[in-house]
Amino acid sequence: MVVEEIVKTDSSILKERQDFILHKQAGGCSGDGMRCDSDSVSGAVSQRACVYCGARVVLNPITDAFHIVHGPIGCASYTWDIRGSLTSKEDLYRNSFSTDLRETDIIFGGEKKLTAAIEEVMEKYNPKLVFIYATCIVGVIGDDVEAVCRTLSEKYGNHIIPVKSPGFSGNKSTGYRMACNAIMSLIGQYKTKEKVKGVNILGDFNLAGEMWIIKDYLKQIGVHVVSSFTGDSSYESLIAAPSASLNIVQCAGSSTYLAKQMEETMDIPFIKVSFFGVEDTTSSLIRIAEALGDEKARQKAIAFTESKAKEIQDLVERYKQNLIGKKAAIYVGGGFKAISLIRQFRSLGMETVVVGTQTGKKDDYEIIESLVKEDTVILDDANPAELETFMIEKKADILVGGVKERPLAYKLGIAFCDHNHERKHPLAGFEGVLNFVKEINSSINNPVWDYIKE
Amino acid sequence: MKTKVSSLVNLNTNPCKMCMPMGAVTALYGIKKCMSILHGSQGCSTYIRRHMATHYNEPVDIASSSLTEQGTVYGGEKNLLQGLKNLITLYEPEVIGVATTCLAETIGEDIKRMIEKFYDQNPGYENITIIPINSAGYGGTQFEGYFKALYAIVSQVKMKQEKHNRINVITSGISPADTRYLKRIFQLFELDVILLPDLADNLDGAYKKSYSRLPSGGTSIEDIQQMAGAKYTLFLSNMEPEKSPAGYLYEQYGVPYERIELPVGLRAVDRFYDLLAKISGKPIPEEIKEMRGRYLDGMIDAHKYNGDGRAVIYGEPDFVVSTTRLCVENGVMPVAAATGSVCSQLENLIKEDIDLLAKRYLIERYEIVQDTDFKNIEELAQTCQANLMIGNSDGRRIEEGLNIPLVRRGFPIHDRVGGQRLRMLGYEGSLNFLDEITNAILARKETGFREELYNTYYKEKMEDKMEEVKKDVPKTGAAFTKEEMEEKTKTHPCYNCGAHSHARMHLPVAPRCNIQCNYCVRKFDCPNESRPGVTTKVLTPEEAFEKYKVIKEKVPNLSVVGIAGPGDALANFEETKRTLELIREYDKDVTFCLSTNGLMLPMYAEELVRLGVSHVTVTLNAIDPKIGAKIYKHVNYMGVRFTDESAAAVLLSNQLIGLKLLVERGVICKINIVTLKGINDHHIPAIVEKMKEIGCYITNIMPFIPVEGSVFEHNPVASNKEINKLRIQCGQTMKQMFHCKQCRADAIGTLEDDLSLQFRGCGGKEKTEGTSKALRFAVASKSGMFTDQHFGQVSELYIYEYKEGRPVFLEKRKIDKYCAGSDECGQGEDKISKIIKVIGDCNGVIAMRIGESPKEKLKEKGILVLATYDRIEDAVTMASNKLLS
Repeated sequence: MVVEEIVKTDSSILKERQDFILHKQAGGCSGDGMRCDSDSVSGAVSQRACVYCGARVVLNPITDAFHIVHGPIGCASYTWDIRGSLTSKEDLYRNSFSTDLRETDIIFGGEKKLTAAIEEVMEKYNPKLVFIYATCIVGVIGDDVEAVCRTLSEKYGNHIIPVKSPGFSGNKSTGYRMACNAIMSLIGQYKTKEKVKGVNILGDFNLAGEMWIIKDYLKQIGVHVVSSFTGDSSYESLIAAPSASLNIVQCAGSSTYLAKQMEETMDIPFIKVSFFGVEDTTSSLIRIAEALGDEKARQKAIAFTESKAKEIQDLVERYKQNLIGKKAAIYVGGGFKAISLIRQFRSLGMETVVVGTQTGKKDDYEIIESLVKEDTVILDDANPAELETFMIEKKADILVGGVKERPLAYKLGIAFCDHNHERKHPLAGFEGVLNFVKEINSSINNPVWDYIKE
Repeated sequence: MKTKVSSLVNLNTNPCKMCMPMGAVTALYGIKKCMSILHGSQGCSTYIRRHMATHYNEPVDIASSSLTEQGTVYGGEKNLLQGLKNLITLYEPEVIGVATTCLAETIGEDIKRMIEKFYDQNPGYENITIIPINSAGYGGTQFEGYFKALYAIVSQVKMKQEKHNRINVITSGISPADTRYLKRIFQLFELDVILLPDLADNLDGAYKKSYSRLPSGGTSIEDIQQMAGAKYTLFLSNMEPEKSPAGYLYEQYGVPYERIELPVGLRAVDRFYDLLAKISGKPIPEEIKEMRGRYLDGMIDAHKYNGDGRAVIYGEPDFVVSTTRLCVENGVMPVAAATGSVCSQLENLIKEDIDLLAKRYLIERYEIVQDTDFKNIEELAQTCQANLMIGNSDGRRIEEGLNIPLVRRGFPIHDRVGGQRLRMLGYEGSLNFLDEITNAILARKETGFREELYNTYYKEKMEDKMEEVKKDVPKTGAAFTKEEMEEKTKTHPCYNCGAHSHARMHLPVAPRCNIQCNYCVRKFDCPNESRPGVTTKVLTPEEAFEKYKVIKEKVPNLSVVGIAGPGDALANFEETKRTLELIREYDKDVTFCLSTNGLMLPMYAEELVRLGVSHVTVTLNAIDPKIGAKIYKHVNYMGVRFTDESAAAVLLSNQLIGLKLLVERGVICKINIVTLKGINDHHIPAIVEKMKEIGCYITNIMPFIPVEGSVFEHNPVASNKEINKLRIQCGQTMKQMFHCKQCRADAIGTLEDDLSLQFRGCGGKEKTEGTSKALRFAVASKSGMFTDQHFGQVSELYIYEYKEGRPVFLEKRKIDKYCAGSDECGQGEDKISKIIKVIGDCNGVIAMRIGESPKEKLKEKGILVLATYDRIEDAVTMASNKLLS
């Protein structure tokens, strides 16, 4: 069956969802593209999380902050230390603090409980930085979280920052923005005219030590890193950020908003970079040196990337022989990741046949469309039914996705690559390229698939 | 430094519970052809799906009404009605559970009425059973949510009251594998049961050729309808929930019921089978009796090991009760039993049992707590001296932090596979569970008893050991002549104050280390020893040799080559050896020195002499293992990790033996001592005395430099004055070094002039600025990596130059959007002029696409236009070639 027919007639595609699916046509551009960036369709079983989730993803890697969830227990329980952000020092962020609102709090309000909680934390630990995440119900029951934070910040002279993240107020991207606002409200107080020659890294959460890899690369080429957002960061490191002379933005979806605000209010220009794949990593390192106007660093970057690329080249080439011609399906959080994955697969001789994201924007999808071959299915905010239908139709050999999608792939007899926040091996940089290829190879070429095909 | 948080009064720190909707959807997964939808915001269903998918390793599809801001303000009816329709289209369920969330309950959604409305509006759907469940997340935990859902099912499904001979079996939360066990047992007793819920297949399905997105196992709605007419209800649960589904069937339809505990552990399983025999009128089958005997046999086999167990048991109340009883029966002492749920019955249910064992074992303290969190559980594990934890995988952080083994049972298991197949019911399940518990106790014992007994009982003095070694040392005499050594030492800047004009070079070829000093973070350059942490780049022996040749040419006064790290020279002996061999072949005269912690010295001393190493520096910070224990975190020796005093003792004895061997062979030995205030500063004169006795040449008393992130990060630092005082004092014993610069592992040059940075990445030639004129381009890019943006949509442009055959990023320039929307597009004229002003100095513009009008304008101005999708660098090169050709 052709894709158009499936979209129009198959029961796995809801009418309201049809516009969110695009079939890449011969000759490239399909005109208006597809619908995206809107509310999830009720009952469709979206794979998206909520605003609170987005905010917590961005802020939680700040290692020495108290991350307090103001709300019922579930929100804190399901997000406790589930992500692989690593720390080199403090590990407070690996705790999940919750005001654990109960029935009586819903009736009488939770402000008192929140106040008592913050006061206790302040008096016992006197942390420099506290985030209060407001969840779905706190606005509804009338808690004024901002007022509580303001009053107590004044009382203790510390930073107690509200994060406006009721789950229903948008999607994960809204949460990213709320987190960026929270960060701005902190570092905005430390603006400085005196700049040092060095960069801030934005949009890397030190999953599996990726921030450390990138920092080491920059050290090797002689570029000073002032601060990082937010992987392995701390209060002290964050407030140093305004003195940087350049921001480099890795996860564009979550952090461009922050970079733009820093550019406007702190006079720090930014460039976007990517450390996924050999080519992206290479051009990013060289670009950073160029943006700093540092010819010496640029020469070092050229030499460094050449030698690193050479180091892994042979092994990657050998794995590639195992993978050429295989078909990939991609379902990830943001456009940035999907785009870089399509390229990485291409460099391995693999074709992407289905690609979708939870929160991609219009221009992300335009790029995706121009990148993939014709006949590829592109999905926004896909659900399990659509993923199932198109992965089968397009005969995908492997799915790259999040934890929820993994069992689906397995049930369909499809290999899987974990490109999510819980992974425990780095996928960034040159090391990451090797890990990625190894993982793809070991899943796709596992003998188990021989038995199910019998 | 890490902040140690203790349990807080006003905050739940690390929840040991989940919310009601989690329990509700779990129960619903045991209903045939059932799909559930959570009425609330999108995140709730996503988080619950993620939690369940990782535990059960099955696709978990739960719909959400995806409430938005509008739904929250005006009510979510429209969302829910639409959501029901959509999920019916996608999944074609026969039953739908609608469970509320915190949000829906707080804004007062009446889901019962909405469901009625749904039936009214959709006449074709009356054969679909839709069950409303009020499960506010704040109203209880997953334990209560589970029973609320079961209660809703039996009270909302239209029942058929005709009497029949079947038996209802209602269970509290058990694993799919245990569910399958129960079903087999009922068959064995020839009992025709209606099992509610039945998770056996839906959350542990088989791999099949074709996948069905709505799993087909579970209790059918027809069976549920018959529950009102059953002759009896067997309710398997350790406690009566507030809303009891069995109680409802009794009160409403007069179905008598008996609640017995979950069949876990000998007593409970016995009672279970006795009851089944009574109900069925059949004797207990032989194979079950056999199994009982086997379980008893297993209990006996394990009992002595179990006596060592001090367990913390946590999780849902039901789980805690069953596990506690099983542990007590087997003599594993539950020192703490804890649940995150509010459960006042818990103490009554298990206190008597634990008391009994506590009395027999003379254990005074144990704790039973409810409504608690993991921070409190962690503290209990410490204060009650637990050596075992039993519960879900959320305890893994405590397992990691306190090094207490965790036997994984219950929900959720996220860090192991097979959570859905874990067993604890019946004799077989109990034995399975018990074996895991016993093995955890045994594993700890088997891997730890050697070290523990050594630390406790081994008291033999170091000196005795030294005597023994002395006897063994072959006296082969000095390997270097006195004149040779004098000359070498004179030209060695680290040994002789007068040798400052001589250069030395340290080659970083040794990355690994075999001990962990508390002042060192191996990631960073450690300023405390001349064996620093990690240098800029570790070299292979071949690279090191190349570097040596280059440097030797440029620094003719290079007289010493040292191996000093970044790890320990002898922990990387193959690399060290190869490097020295290569250099020696090339240069006969150069002096070799090496610094080490001395751990491997006895093994390699002779080989070092053979390689021509004439100077060895050993960092030795204590000659008393008690003091050493404060300085060294661990020592890895011969495949064993030593800690505490045993670590210090192993290190020290090897240092002393190794030094003796070297001195015997005429090697000049220098001793580095890091002055650690309050730890070894008073001990230093004694160290120096000992070194003198052994025959070392010089001691180097060094200041301590705190390293961020190390254990000693905040330790006090001795002042220069104090250090010098020590040096002068010890100078009366033996020669002291006064000029140490604490150099890096890759140090090059004289001590005054570290040239290493200059020579790093050696062989790279400095490129000179070209004079050829550069071409300049404006690039439209969204990602910053590719030319992936429409010219009309840019708000900023990347400016690139092309010079000397390479594209170079220059800067980013902001411009007003050329086309910000249809109503503004008419003023395009002005805008394009604006852009051209911004990029007037450019030779070309590169974008993914560009409109005809701006294209013409740019061409008029003589600016090249290139529309392409490519890597920026490649596009710039392409455009330059066009201009240059």
